[in-house]
Amino acid sequence: MNCSIRFGHAWSRCSKLSGGLRRKKVENIKFDESRLKNWASLAFRLGIAISLTLVVIGFIILIYISGFKDIQPLVRLEQIPAAIVISIGIFLLLLIPIVQVILSIVFFSMNRNRLFIGISVAVLCLSAISLVLALT
Amino acid sequence: MNEINLWALGGIGLVAGLLGSMLGVGGGLIIVPVLTLALHLPIQIAIGSSLVAIVANACTAAGIYTKARLTNIKLGLLLETTTIPGAIIGGFAAAVIAPSILSALFGLVLIYVTYTMVTRQHFISTDTQLDDHLHPGEPGITSDNLSSSLKESYYDQNLDKVVDYKVTRTPVGLGAGFFAGALSSLLGIGGGIIKVPVMHLLMGVPMKAAIATSTFMIALTAATGAFIYQYYGNIQPFIIAPLIIGIVIGSRIGAELTQRTRGVWLRRIFGVFLFLVAILMFLKTANVI
Repeated sequence: MNCSIRFGHAWSRCSKLSGGLRRKKVENIKFDESRLKNWASLAFRLGIAISLTLVVIGFIILIYISGFKDIQPLVRLEQIPAAIVISIGIFLLLLIPIVQVILSIVFFSMNRNRLFIGISVAVLCLSAISLVLALT
Repeated sequence: MNEINLWALGGIGLVAGLLGSMLGVGGGLIIVPVLTLALHLPIQIAIGSSLVAIVANACTAAGIYTKARLTNIKLGLLLETTTIPGAIIGGFAAAVIAPSILSALFGLVLIYVTYTMVTRQHFISTDTQLDDHLHPGEPGITSDNLSSSLKESYYDQNLDKVVDYKVTRTPVGLGAGFFAGALSSLLGIGGGIIKVPVMHLLMGVPMKAAIATSTFMIALTAATGAFIYQYYGNIQPFIIAPLIIGIVIGSRIGAELTQRTRGVWLRRIFGVFLFLVAILMFLKTANVI
């Protein structure tokens, strides 16, 4: 009985110690900046692929509706579906750099880099001002 | 507004992407004058369309540069804190400035670019060897906390070594960033003509890293400017769609052709072309054409 109590005490001390060490290890982990660059590169390529696909689809719809002739820049009623698809593509394209800033905030938060969390948040807020204006 | 040929727009995008990637200049220098002079579009619509095309081009290139570890993301974000306010102010200013003044300003920028292309090609070229004597981070210039946290390195394939560098004179970069942002939104150009030389010559960033970081920044700056143009209704989907498709295809072909052409002569010929376009922009300002 005594022996098992002593063993339990030692076990709990040992697990507390290892837990503490693990916590310290987690606190000290600094994520390599190449990880951020991997994320950024992927987001750029994926974003371009999605937005360009939509723009191309919209363009094909436009040619299907209007034919191979000169067009007015202003959207006519029958051209609305093409305009919507192209506009979504353009909007997603313009969002790609903002997504990069959000990824940077996530990365610097994981790295506990307060200076660059602040800088990235400031950049995000400034971009958000223009985005909100565009949506109004 | 006149009727517009979709294929002509696609062709303009293609040429802009092709020459832009071969010469290391943004497509805006080609798109804006051609849309205003050849297709007679209002300059604000030409600038708005150019900004969106620039975002597409910059995002495509930035994906490649970032994968190659050339981009200094921390430096890009830091400089964006002043570049974006510049872009917002430039975007609003463009809406109230008379189109003739915008044309004249564009002409002035074209003359500056022509001069740098013909004489000082080193800061526009994308295939330049690194001149190590300028950096990394000459000791004694500055070594504040911020500068040391902007330290970076990348592997240079041409030199077959890892290049380490420190960033110096960040306040200069921040000031230049504001100016570049304002010019970008005001005239529909990327602003790399200011950012790259400032980063390379004044802040000690190696050329390849400066171009990559500038491209990363251009995407964000041009997107901010484009949002302001959208606010004023100067983003027209039917003009932009063929431009974007053309510019992305053109920049891919240009990247391939760059390896096979003699850059110096191409730059000089293009320099002369830009000079002629600058004169046309001035003539447009004076209502001669």
